[in-house]
Amino acid sequence: MEKYDVAIIGGGSAGLAALKQLSTLGKQAVLLEAGEKVGVKNISGGILYSKKPNKGKVYNVEDIYGQNFVNEAPLQRKITQYLLHATSKDKVFSMDLTAAHEYQSNFGYSVLMNELNAWFAQSADESAQKSGGGIVPGVHVNDISWDAEKERTTIQTDEIDEFQVKAVIAADGVNSEVAQITNARPKFSATQLYQGVKAVVKLPENVINDTFAIRADSGAAHLFAGDITLNHLGGGFLYTNRDTLSVGAVYHFDSLLDNPTEPNTLLDALLKNPMITELIKDEVPVKGEIDKTLEKEKQMQIRFAVIKLIKTWYEIRDVHLSSSRTKEMIKTGKFNSEDEIKSKLSELREKMSSEYGITFKTDYVEDEYGAKLIPDGKRCRMKKPYKNNVLFVGDAAGRGIFVGPRIEGLNVGIDDGVRAANAIARALEKNNFSQGYLGEYYTKSIEESPYTKDMKEIDKEYLKIFIDATKDVPKDVLSAKHSMVLKLMSSGAIRSMAAKFVNVLGYERLLPVIESEESYVKVPIQLAERKGKTVSSSYTPSIPLLADRIAKLNYNDDKVSHIKVLTSDNDFMRKLVTLCPTKCYSEEKGKVTIQHEGCIECGTCSEQTDWKHPRGEKGINYRYG
Amino acid sequence: MEPLNLAVIVKLEPDFSEGNVSYKPDGTLNRNETKSTLGPHSGIAAKAAFYAKVKYGAKISVCSMGPPFAELALEQAQQTCDADVLHLYSDRIFAGADTLATAETLRTGITDKMQGKMDIVFSGHRASDGETGQTGPQTAWKLGFTFLGNVISYDVNLEKRTVVAKCLLTLNGVPNVIEEIEAPLPVFISIDPSYKSNYTTVSQRIAFEKYQKEAYERAKNYKQYLKVFNIDELGVDKALVGLAGSPTIVYQVERIPKGKATRQAEVLDGSNPEHIRKAVAKMKEALSAMVIK
Repeated sequence: MEKYDVAIIGGGSAGLAALKQLSTLGKQAVLLEAGEKVGVKNISGGILYSKKPNKGKVYNVEDIYGQNFVNEAPLQRKITQYLLHATSKDKVFSMDLTAAHEYQSNFGYSVLMNELNAWFAQSADESAQKSGGGIVPGVHVNDISWDAEKERTTIQTDEIDEFQVKAVIAADGVNSEVAQITNARPKFSATQLYQGVKAVVKLPENVINDTFAIRADSGAAHLFAGDITLNHLGGGFLYTNRDTLSVGAVYHFDSLLDNPTEPNTLLDALLKNPMITELIKDEVPVKGEIDKTLEKEKQMQIRFAVIKLIKTWYEIRDVHLSSSRTKEMIKTGKFNSEDEIKSKLSELREKMSSEYGITFKTDYVEDEYGAKLIPDGKRCRMKKPYKNNVLFVGDAAGRGIFVGPRIEGLNVGIDDGVRAANAIARALEKNNFSQGYLGEYYTKSIEESPYTKDMKEIDKEYLKIFIDATKDVPKDVLSAKHSMVLKLMSSGAIRSMAAKFVNVLGYERLLPVIESEESYVKVPIQLAERKGKTVSSSYTPSIPLLADRIAKLNYNDDKVSHIKVLTSDNDFMRKLVTLCPTKCYSEEKGKVTIQHEGCIECGTCSEQTDWKHPRGEKGINYRYG
Repeated sequence: MEPLNLAVIVKLEPDFSEGNVSYKPDGTLNRNETKSTLGPHSGIAAKAAFYAKVKYGAKISVCSMGPPFAELALEQAQQTCDADVLHLYSDRIFAGADTLATAETLRTGITDKMQGKMDIVFSGHRASDGETGQTGPQTAWKLGFTFLGNVISYDVNLEKRTVVAKCLLTLNGVPNVIEEIEAPLPVFISIDPSYKSNYTTVSQRIAFEKYQKEAYERAKNYKQYLKVFNIDELGVDKALVGLAGSPTIVYQVERIPKGKATRQAEVLDGSNPEHIRKAVAKMKEALSAMVIK
């Protein structure tokens, strides 16, 4: 049997950070990723933060991947504008939360996980190979066993021979199978989770710059609350990437269970809001009708030509509407000048309309639909994120920060990854992997992390920034209770005392008051109605059907289902018919059944099913993530 | 122990994938408008050679006979198998060769122009653009190597210097019979389309990733590894290659007649409820016939 020092299970940003850190410390580690490549299973909102807390230290991306990280990594846009919008029909009331976004922060970049994790992987793999380790994609871990006498930990997989390790890092995400195998924690329940659903919208770089009034190197983040939530607790987001937008909705899972609504409907509610409709709009070619009286072969020829022309038009237009890509194309000699690109584009356009009857209209284009469960660290972080010699990091340990508009997960996972790596490196040196020496040390390190503090306590400084941002909110839209709280909190001395008081009492107890229908839905709607500006949209977006969204996704189908239904007739399972983002569940004669083929592995159904990640290389392959 | 010395013979073929292939109005291939690529079966042969490199350590040489632009096939093969040497045998005299003449060209390259004695030579099962599946067996015969056909997996015993291969055959009309053969090196392996490399340990997987990266980098500068030989440089007997060396005479090519459709199709409009009803009625009718009472 082969032997390695450390196995890292899961190649998300937390697992990769752990691999990079262990390898930098000269320790041997292998990372096992179930996807055919690192990154294809990952999806995020997403913004990647680098933080500088006043007290304590966090490990940031640039600490691990080098100070040149920002210049080298495939980041999208540096978020320089952070806005919160309250919506009600065509009324929108906006607040600037840029100060809250920049609070204790070096930077926040919008990112697309597939590309970014591939970059992390390349860097981590290079270091890992120097220490005799590396990344092994396409392998799904199905069991871990311990032989205490022989001090052996054995990793078993679906694809390769079992092998021995001294310690394990579980970085297998919110639906961690390792947590089930090791019995380290129960599955997360609805009250501890959010369900996020996202669409990546295509929009050329220059169009984004103009629409959002931002420079090419900066970006905007917009959050939404109010009627777009369709009365659920949560909200919408829209982040600008380089030449795409990430548009999505994140809701408390229990609020979705109370009032089941299809995730794609929640996404559509967002896209139908006139403000968002205007932000995503673009010029889109529309195929003309093919003359059915023509010969079959001629019809086919036209159909192929139209597909090819539209594809080419998009390609050249994307270059034309991006200064960086224009430069790149001229540099590589594909085009001689900007004018050449321009004339080529208009030539193409002319041909499209005159020869093939293609017209152009205002619309938007969706490229990828995706969904994910997100753990709320306030409610579900593991108090002791280990079992035996297995350390849990990131989503697997239930560690995400959700405080008002502050939403962070990637940076938390990365910090965890480094802490786990450091703890294991220390254990390797003493060859002591006991719970006391390894697990407890890691727990202490995690407790010291400022991120853990953010999950446990109210930060009065952050509270002040948030309250300042809401200064334009008329107090009478709030209930007497909330209005009183806000009034008290506006005074520095009382805020300080109140925060202390709450932290002593226990932050969790206050959460139902803060995260309520009133704060997510009612107040924003009132605000928008009374103080909002009217926004109108100039077109009706052609929102794709769920079937079309799924058809655009890329799967490597497995004949065998990775999910097994345990009980087919309870309330939860019936609600899944609505809540599964890709409608894998259906109900007939009171029995709920699954068809796993369209599954995007979000884990919405995980709590009450036998849920496993698909075997190696199988399942969803996200292009953006 | 010496690393294995391996060769792969590959072929440049038309790219039949969507968007790259083009047909003439009569339905035959329009070669001028169709892009070329490494033949899919040649690709599998390269994958099989790569397996030995990852698992046992090996030096891989890839060769092809073809026009100058066939170097594309060698570049793509290098990307697959991390080849150390690329040979292209290219000369107008080679044109019009049948499989026997092609085998002679490849055999000469393998024995005379590649370094050291070969342990295993790999070929694809067939080509996608012509019935040239004999090239492999004929090259094996000319090399005097043991020929193993339809190989779906193999392993090498480095100490005994043998190959243990699983071959797929049809035995007395029974399909999918797997025969396991142990043969002393050198051998010639023709790879079955269903071949799969089984990397079963962590170290093999890591080596696979490492060499794959190396292959990708190497293929970016494939010209550094490429050597092109004309007929004189190859030093092959002119009477045995090209049209002159081809005993095959194609005297007529018949178009395969189109089979008559036995089914009839009717186009229904999915947005028309009347049409849907019609479709459901048809389905019911079809299904009722299938119910066993």
